[in-house]
Amino acid sequence: MAVSPLVYPTESLQSTSRPVSSPLKRGTSAVPSSNGNGTPHLHRPGGGPGGHQHESQLPLTLDLVEQMNEEEKKKYVKGRKLGEGTYANVYLGHSRSDPSVLVAIKKIKVQKEYTDGLAPDAVRELKHLQELGGHPNIINLLSVFSSKDQNLNLVLEYLPLGDLEMLIRDTENVRYGAADIKSWMGMLTRAVWFCHDNYVLHRDIKPNNLLIAADGEVKLADFGLARSFAQPGAKMTANVITRWYRPPELLFGARHYSGAVDIWSVGLVFAELIIRSPFLPGGSELEMIQMICRQIGTPTEDNWPGVTQLKDYTVSNTIQPVWGKEAYMSRFGAVGSEGVDLLVKTLALDPKKRITAREMLEHRWWRTDPKPTRKEDLPRKTTSKDGQTAEEKMGADLKRRPGLDDDNNPPASRGTKVARKLDFGAAK
Amino acid sequence: MPPKSSSFGAGARAGTSSSGGGLPALSSDDMCPVCKTIRYLNKDMEFLIHPDCYHSMCSNCVNRLFNDGPNQCPYAGCHKTLRRKGFRAPFFGDLSVEREVDIRRRVAAVFNQVEDDFETLLDYNNYLQMVEDLTFELVHGTDQKRQQAEAQLQAWEAEHKADIERNRRAGREADDLQRRRIAAERDAARQRRIEAIKEAEEEKRERVRSREAELDSMQTGEAGGGGGGGQRVQLKRRGQVNKNTADAAANMIQDKNAAAAAGADGLGVGRLSIRGLKEKKRPPPPEGPYDPFGGLDFIPSRYTLEPKGTLNHPALDHWRLDQGHITGGYSFDEYISRAMFDAFAGLGVFIEDEKELGGQTGLSAGQVATIGGGIGAVGDKMELDAS
Repeated sequence: MAVSPLVYPTESLQSTSRPVSSPLKRGTSAVPSSNGNGTPHLHRPGGGPGGHQHESQLPLTLDLVEQMNEEEKKKYVKGRKLGEGTYANVYLGHSRSDPSVLVAIKKIKVQKEYTDGLAPDAVRELKHLQELGGHPNIINLLSVFSSKDQNLNLVLEYLPLGDLEMLIRDTENVRYGAADIKSWMGMLTRAVWFCHDNYVLHRDIKPNNLLIAADGEVKLADFGLARSFAQPGAKMTANVITRWYRPPELLFGARHYSGAVDIWSVGLVFAELIIRSPFLPGGSELEMIQMICRQIGTPTEDNWPGVTQLKDYTVSNTIQPVWGKEAYMSRFGAVGSEGVDLLVKTLALDPKKRITAREMLEHRWWRTDPKPTRKEDLPRKTTSKDGQTAEEKMGADLKRRPGLDDDNNPPASRGTKVARKLDFGAAK
Repeated sequence: MPPKSSSFGAGARAGTSSSGGGLPALSSDDMCPVCKTIRYLNKDMEFLIHPDCYHSMCSNCVNRLFNDGPNQCPYAGCHKTLRRKGFRAPFFGDLSVEREVDIRRRVAAVFNQVEDDFETLLDYNNYLQMVEDLTFELVHGTDQKRQQAEAQLQAWEAEHKADIERNRRAGREADDLQRRRIAAERDAARQRRIEAIKEAEEEKRERVRSREAELDSMQTGEAGGGGGGGQRVQLKRRGQVNKNTADAAANMIQDKNAAAAAGADGLGVGRLSIRGLKEKKRPPPPEGPYDPFGGLDFIPSRYTLEPKGTLNHPALDHWRLDQGHITGGYSFDEYISRAMFDAFAGLGVFIEDEKELGGQTGLSAGQVATIGGGIGAVGDKMELDAS
């Protein structure tokens, strides 16, 4: 883990006999605690007595947490701006000790709606990145610090090659084949598997949240909608996941769901990689349901027991039986029969029948020809179609408010009390 | 570049005017120093030398002396044992040049690195200096120094046989490539010339045509406007043609650059362990079968989970029957797996140890936990009784 969940005060800090003010005095400074139960505290009114500028001038008066924050802040140098959004600004930065180590610094703005604390998406992102960091296919959170005006700065690893969406959309300049798709899907599935095995739902998987590192590795980013698995009985919001990638159970308003929601998104990314355009680009939720009925099959009591009882269940009267594998072959045949088999399994209507991330990785497709391309040999590009460089694209991806495409979904509710989860990294 | 045999020849030929040092030069081409035969008597007299001592003698003498097997060099004071097979006609009149060229060729065959093999230009220059020093010792050094250099050279050759062979092959490929490139360039140049001629003709024809048009228009009495227009059109056309040729030239340059890059790639194989050499580009080791899991495994080590659906708890029964949970796809197995993980997560972790180790060595939490587990001698596996 980049940031250890436990904080080890140095000897000198420990020896200060001065009574240490509450480490939670400043909301943002409490960040190094990633124990998952930090959320309520983080929403306390931030800002202890004494402005930040004042503190930096008189470092002796800083309390323990503030000193640690200062130390963390000093490790990085903020460079030019890569992207600006309403939610966050993204800067290029580098490590002070080694200027060749580039980082992206995502500075989350203070938001008007959340004057009494941090925006929930920032908290979600922080919490889950701190727990999940270290996997090769998940964006690495290197550090967190607060700067003046209580701005929260996330230091993320620098991923200079844009995102998967760029590659999918640029049909003129980028060519890729079944081996490349398999390689990308492998990385994506491993990332999702890692999230789910650590009891985290990502809830916003889509091609432009899949950033590409300098060595071609795909990294899952944007954990602004992520949450850990709910307790039985705890309701989760159905208003998550960018619409095109939203599974039917969420469209129907289910409040108790599982990792299967992410798998549906993975399946749609898979389909999009093959046909190089969004598979189900519905303009509204209703249209999404219609598209699912038409392209995949109408959810009925037969293929999904209980579906008619869901809150927002509405389908047209013409029932389209669920398409078999053969129907997909003509459009998605590029990945071979095994690949289509996997695709069909990820797009099962009933979430209980949907394949899990682990089962996906156990699928035969990975072992059939062609062998996945090595990540260094994957197609890449440095400028997107509209002349936007990959770097800018990364900036744009990171600054985006999670879970949104065009319209303004209200940010997902803060969720219920999050179960305490100790993280001991690879101890498992 | 280390001198190649071809560049050698050119340099050495230029140097033939300077007379050789101690070696008997074939100053008079007319008399064999061994049998004293003169060219007047033998029109076809040919002088041969042996690369061991570079003493020249006529072919008759060679046949006479060495046909019956190895023999001593007939020159007074030269005790080299020579064989018939080694004799050849010298390429240069000046035998000291001949000798130097031979030595250089030999050294170049052994030290055949190219600039691409080195990290920096300085390293490459140092290498060239080292090779040149060695060559100088071999050519002009005292007996002792020469022997020393000879020994060095042989030792190097023996040590790095494979590398030398690889470089040699790479060099040959590069030569081939260069030859092909030159041919391609020549081809392109010819093409360009032909096109230029065509263009010139086209232009001439265009001019004639416009002139005719102008005359015609004059005849019909619209002299000014028509003529000017024609001129403009022509100018415009010419501009376009120029632009096209510029484009073509740019493309050609690009192609050439690509070819050059390809050539450079072809060269980058095989290196010796001289200072400043770039790291060896080994062919990647054959990969094993693709591992979809990327080498990770999250099977809990402290307990085993019963197969899906068998674990249960009374508190869950109520929810298990809840339609919302069933239809929405809520996974109780995931919940149970998580509950188990949470229950066992803190075991084997000792904050004191972690503080100590983590604070000093910066171990990750996971490593510390493993160490702590070892210290605490907690049973590695705990079977969980399914209730």
